[in-house]
Amino acid sequence: MAIEFLDPTHESGAAAFAPAKRLATLKGATVGIVSNGKKGTKPFFDAFERELKERYGVARIVRTTKSNYSAPAEAEIMTEAERWQALVSGIGD
Amino acid sequence: MSIAQPVTKLAAGLRSKRHRGDDFAAAQELFHSRGWTDGLPVVPPTPPLVSACLEWALMPPEQLVGIEPVRQRPITAEKLAVNAVMAGCLPMHFPVVVAAFTAMLQEPFLLHGATASTGGSAILIVVNGPIRAELGMCGSFNALGPSDRATTVIGRAIRLVLLNLLDARPGEIDRSTLGHPGKISYCVAEDEEGSPWLPLAEERDVPPGASAVTVLAAGAPRQLMNEWTTAPEEILDTYASEIRASMRHYSIWPGNYAIVVPPQLRAHFERAGWSKADVREYLHRKARVRRSEWADCGKGSVVGDRGEREYAAFESPDEVLVVAAGGPAGGFGAVIPPWYGNKSRAVTMAIGACVDCEA
Repeated sequence: MAIEFLDPTHESGAAAFAPAKRLATLKGATVGIVSNGKKGTKPFFDAFERELKERYGVARIVRTTKSNYSAPAEAEIMTEAERWQALVSGIGD
Repeated sequence: MSIAQPVTKLAAGLRSKRHRGDDFAAAQELFHSRGWTDGLPVVPPTPPLVSACLEWALMPPEQLVGIEPVRQRPITAEKLAVNAVMAGCLPMHFPVVVAAFTAMLQEPFLLHGATASTGGSAILIVVNGPIRAELGMCGSFNALGPSDRATTVIGRAIRLVLLNLLDARPGEIDRSTLGHPGKISYCVAEDEEGSPWLPLAEERDVPPGASAVTVLAAGAPRQLMNEWTTAPEEILDTYASEIRASMRHYSIWPGNYAIVVPPQLRAHFERAGWSKADVREYLHRKARVRRSEWADCGKGSVVGDRGEREYAAFESPDEVLVVAAGGPAGGFGAVIPPWYGNKSRAVTMAIGACVDCEA
C-alpha cells in the first residue's frame, strides 16, 4: 500500500549564503585573514601571507583572530571586513 | 520498486513537501538514499502522525520554535514533529523534543559550534519532573544506554532534527573526527524517586513539580568505579580524578561536567548527609590540574612557561551537574565531560515554557 509522508528537511534555499562576487585580480588589494585562533594557524597564515604578497601582488594583509574557535567572528571583525576586498577564513587543526 | 514522487498539494495546515512510496520498504529506501536518517529505519512521517504530535503539544504547524543563531535558519513545530515521528516518538513524547530543541537554540548553548566541531559532541538531555513517569522513563538500569522507549526516541529525535534541519550530516555541517555512540541517542531521566537530592532542574531554578530538560553538548560518558569506601570524600576523589584525566587528555578548559551517581554510591552520601550542593562544592575544590601535568601525557610542547598555573574544572560549584541515575547495584559512576569547556553552556528549560511570551 502506498504511503504518503512529509519531507523532514528545512526546505529553505541557501540564497542567504550565495558566494560573494569574485575578484578579477588580487593585485593591490587589501585581504583580511581571519584565524579561528588555533595554534596551527600562525605558521600556515604566515606562509600564506608571504605567498599573497609575493606571488599575487596583494598590497595589504590584515590579520585578525576570533575569540572562540567554534563561534562566528565577532561583529567588530565583520565590520572591519567591509573595508577589505577579500577575506580568507581558516582553521588550524 | 519505485520510490517517492514529490506531491505539491498542501492540506490540513501542514506545509512540508509530500512524498509517496509504494510501500514501507520503498519509503525506507528513500530516507536512506536522501541522507534523511541516521542509518536506522524510520517511522514514515505521515500527515496524521505528524498532526497528532502537534495537536498533543497544542502547536500550530507554522509555530516558530526558534531560529538557529548562526545560519538564521527558522525551526518550526511542523519540522520538529516530522523528525520526532521518524525517530519513533509518540505524540506524548513531542513536548520533550520541543523543550530540548528550544533549549539548544539559546545563545549560550552555541548550537552551531557544538554540532559542527571536530570535537564530536552529542546532545545530552537530562529529563526531570513528573513527565518522566507519564512517559515511562527509567533512570535506573542501563540509565545511560537504551533504558526505555521514551528516552531512546527523544534522544534520537534530536539527532534527526540536527541532520535534517541543520544539515549536521557527517562530512557536511557535522565535521566530527570521531563522534561517539551518544550521537544516536543521549537522553537520561533522573532517578528523583530514588534520591533525597534536589532534581537537577530544581537546582537550576525550575520550580518544584515542573517538568524540564537540561541539555549539554557532551562527550561520551567515562565510567569509573569505587566499591572500596563509604566516605563521600573518597568517592568524589574518584570522580575528581576522572575529571582531571579528561582535563589532561582532552581539554583543560572549565565547563559543565555532568557526574552521574547511581544508588550504591548515593547511599553513602545520603548516610553522611551530603547534599548535591556539598558534592558540587567538593568537586569544585578538588578537580584541578596544573598545566605541567600535560608533560606527563605527551603534551609537553604546549606547557610553555605556565607549568605552575592551576586550572580548575569548574569556574564555580554551580557548573557541576549532578545527576542521580543508574541501576541499584554496582559501585560505578560516570563523568560526562563538556564538548568544549564553557564555550557552550548547559541550558535548562521547563517543558511547555514559552521563551518569548510576555510574563
